Amino acid sequence: MSKTLKGITLKGSAELVAEFFSFGINSILYQRGIYPAETFTRVTQYDMSLHLTTDAKLKNYLTNVISQLKEWLFDCTVQKLVVVITCLETNEVLERWQFDIECDKTAKENSTPREKSIKAIQEEIRSVIRQITATVTFLPLLETACAFDLLIYTDKDLEVPEQWEESGPQLIDQSEEVRLRSFTTSVHKVNSMVAYKRTNSM
Amino acid sequence: MDDMEDDTTIFSTLKSFKSLISCPDRSLLETEPAYGRSDLQKLYTKRVEAKEAAERVRSHTSLLQLTQEKQQMELSHKRARIELEKEAHSSSRDFQREIDRNGELLLKIKRLEEREEKANQALNEQMENNKVLKRNLEELHKKANEKDSKLAESDQMINELNDETRRLNQKIQIQESKFSTQNLEIQALQEQLDVQRKKYQDVSQKYQNLQSSHSISTESELKMKELERRLALQEQDSVIVKNMKSEMARLPELEREIKRLREENTFLRETKENNSLLKEETEGLRRKLERVERVMEEKLKAELEKEKLEQELQAWENIGQAAGLNIRKPQDLSREVIQIQQRELNLKQQNYTLNSSIRSVEKARAELLPEIAQLRAKAQEEQKKRENQDSLVRRLQKRVLLLTKERDGMRAILESYDSELATSEYSPQLMLRVKEAEDMLQKVQAHNNEMETQLSKAQEEAGTFKLQVQMVTAELEALKEQQLSDAEKNIFSTAEEVSSLRQKIEELEAERQLLEEQNNILEMRLERHNLQGDYDPVKTKVIHLQMNPTSIAKQQRAEDVEQLRLECQLLRDRIRKIEAGGGVTTDDTTLIIPPSQEILDLRKQMESAELKNQRLKEVFQKKIQEFRTACYVLTGYQIDITMENQYRLTSVYAEHMEDSLLFKSSGPVGSGSMQLLETDFSRTLTGLVDLHLFHQKSIPVFLSAVTIELFSRQTVT
Repeated sequence: MSKTLKGITLKGSAELVAEFFSFGINSILYQRGIYPAETFTRVTQYDMSLHLTTDAKLKNYLTNVISQLKEWLFDCTVQKLVVVITCLETNEVLERWQFDIECDKTAKENSTPREKSIKAIQEEIRSVIRQITATVTFLPLLETACAFDLLIYTDKDLEVPEQWEESGPQLIDQSEEVRLRSFTTSVHKVNSMVAYKRTNSM
Repeated sequence: MDDMEDDTTIFSTLKSFKSLISCPDRSLLETEPAYGRSDLQKLYTKRVEAKEAAERVRSHTSLLQLTQEKQQMELSHKRARIELEKEAHSSSRDFQREIDRNGELLLKIKRLEEREEKANQALNEQMENNKVLKRNLEELHKKANEKDSKLAESDQMINELNDETRRLNQKIQIQESKFSTQNLEIQALQEQLDVQRKKYQDVSQKYQNLQSSHSISTESELKMKELERRLALQEQDSVIVKNMKSEMARLPELEREIKRLREENTFLRETKENNSLLKEETEGLRRKLERVERVMEEKLKAELEKEKLEQELQAWENIGQAAGLNIRKPQDLSREVIQIQQRELNLKQQNYTLNSSIRSVEKARAELLPEIAQLRAKAQEEQKKRENQDSLVRRLQKRVLLLTKERDGMRAILESYDSELATSEYSPQLMLRVKEAEDMLQKVQAHNNEMETQLSKAQEEAGTFKLQVQMVTAELEALKEQQLSDAEKNIFSTAEEVSSLRQKIEELEAERQLLEEQNNILEMRLERHNLQGDYDPVKTKVIHLQMNPTSIAKQQRAEDVEQLRLECQLLRDRIRKIEAGGGVTTDDTTLIIPPSQEILDLRKQMESAELKNQRLKEVFQKKIQEFRTACYVLTGYQIDITMENQYRLTSVYAEHMEDSLLFKSSGPVGSGSMQLLETDFSRTLTGLVDLHLFHQKSIPVFLSAVTIELFSRQTVT
């Protein structure tokens, strides 16, 4: 961690946000039951007990995406990260967890660290993750087998690296959206929201 | 052996002793008579010699005895040693034996211990069994007790039942007594019955008589009924005939009526046609009426409109007259309107141009205002600078004054110094100082000049700015005058333009509000779309990893589906084959479902049963063939079963092939009673038939007689 004790640099902020995404995505996968609960272990982060997957393939995939995301966060070229949950039988998108990222570009030119305590950032992240856990109460049950995908919205002129390809936005047909909390590191601001397919019983 | 040797030595010594004794005796005896005088000496010498010899012999014998004793001792030692050795051997053997026995005993002990343990275990088990048995015993006791109780209960029941049986027996006895009484009654009743029967018979006879007479009477009644019916029919016929007659009388009248009715019919048909025509006419007239009424209404409306239009026309004409525009026709009015419109357009154009000029002017003014402000500020700055510079100039002037005063002072001092001191040492210094002072002065003067030039420049700039400001203010005033003049001109334009402009303003305001609302709605929609994940393709793009879990899962799914489809296909094929083949399950597929064990067993059983069946059939065939041939050979008759229960016998010695006897089995199957049926051949044997079958009633004898007869016939002929 290259963030100083006193302030947040662009690099430190990128690492904080990437770390948040890593734990947040794991929490979503555990809460929504995309992978079986026994494949998750508990770790302590942000002063709370979070779930982390032990599946090697999944871990590999997540580290790939998160490391690439960290680079893009440092370059301030990423706009959104979306976790898309698709039903395997009908190939329909059932849920979309969307995280909007706003980057303060002046932090690139001006390299002085910003005054924001890490504790405050962690507190905000903690509340966001708690809210993600709480949303499970009102989200409709995922009864069929599902798989997830990570989409990244970037600037149009970004060079697409190998192993990545362009895809559609994978929107939900007839969705309900709920805005969740946001947190900011004073360099990056992350807004969270969840969109889910409206069920007919509603 | 040693003893023997010892004995032999002893005997040998004894012999030698004896021989010695005998020798000296002989010698003594021999020598005595010969020597008289020297006999005593000789005797004495001889005695001495004999004594010495005896002593020698004694010593020798004692030696021998000693040696014997020694030998005996040795022997006894040896014996003792041998015995000891034997004893040692034997004791060692005993020891070993004891050791072996010990070992054996130990083994035995171990075995015994094991046995003991086993016995203990067995004991324990037995104890446990004992306990179990005891428990069982207890349970059995309990059961026995229960059973005892049950037995007691059953005994009670039995007792009760016995009591009941006794009661029942009593009842039976009572019943029997009753029965006997009733039997007596029955007998009496039976006698009565006989009497009654006789009566009944009489009565039945009478009844029969009655019945016969009754039947006769019924017949007669029937006949009577028939006759009555016929009578009735005839009466009816007569009635009918009468009616017919009356009707016949009415015929001509009916004919007349028919004619009349036909005429009426035709008349009515014509009237009907006329009716229909009239109805159509009425309908047509009704429609016309409706149309006419509508037309009337329209006419009324038209008249009203006409009146209105006339009024409007008059109003238009009045307008024209009121407006004073020389209007007589609407064309004039349109012309006037067009002219007015053109004027309006022109005025609007002028208005627009004026507005645009106003705006441009205002823009220029607006641009100029800040310039003015800047200029004013600059002027102020310049003024300040000038003031500063004035103050500086004053300060400088003061300094100059001070410096001049200093210079004067210094010059005075120098002069004083010059006057006072004549040494030349200070003069260069003074000169230097003077030079320095002069330099300083020159610098100060130069500085002063520069300041003055700057000041003058500033003043010039200030002056130029002031001129500009004046010019701008002048332009502004000119523009304001123009505006005022324009405004004055515009005031004279029609109030209508103002109102129209106001209307336009209001419309534009309304449009603006609408646009604002639309803008808000669009912004909401955009926000919503943003929430849903929409993006602007111009600025953003969406990427993801190619090897992502969803695509991997979809691939997996597709592969699973394919595999399942293939399996399904294969299974369907197998099922079809099985249904068609009925048990043949030879497949080349890798998905062979093994036929169940039951099916295999059943198939084997079936095959074995079929084989058994076949074998039994073959065996039966063979056996029956053998039996039939044996029968044929032994009895001389070939027995065939032609039909059920019919047997045809053909003899060995039959003259013709068709000669055969037919027997039919009468009575139940298996009883053996047969009857001979008539055949051509049996007719030739009537004698034998009579004898053996009718009189003797024995078929075997008959058959053997026939055989003998045929045989005799054959041999004879």
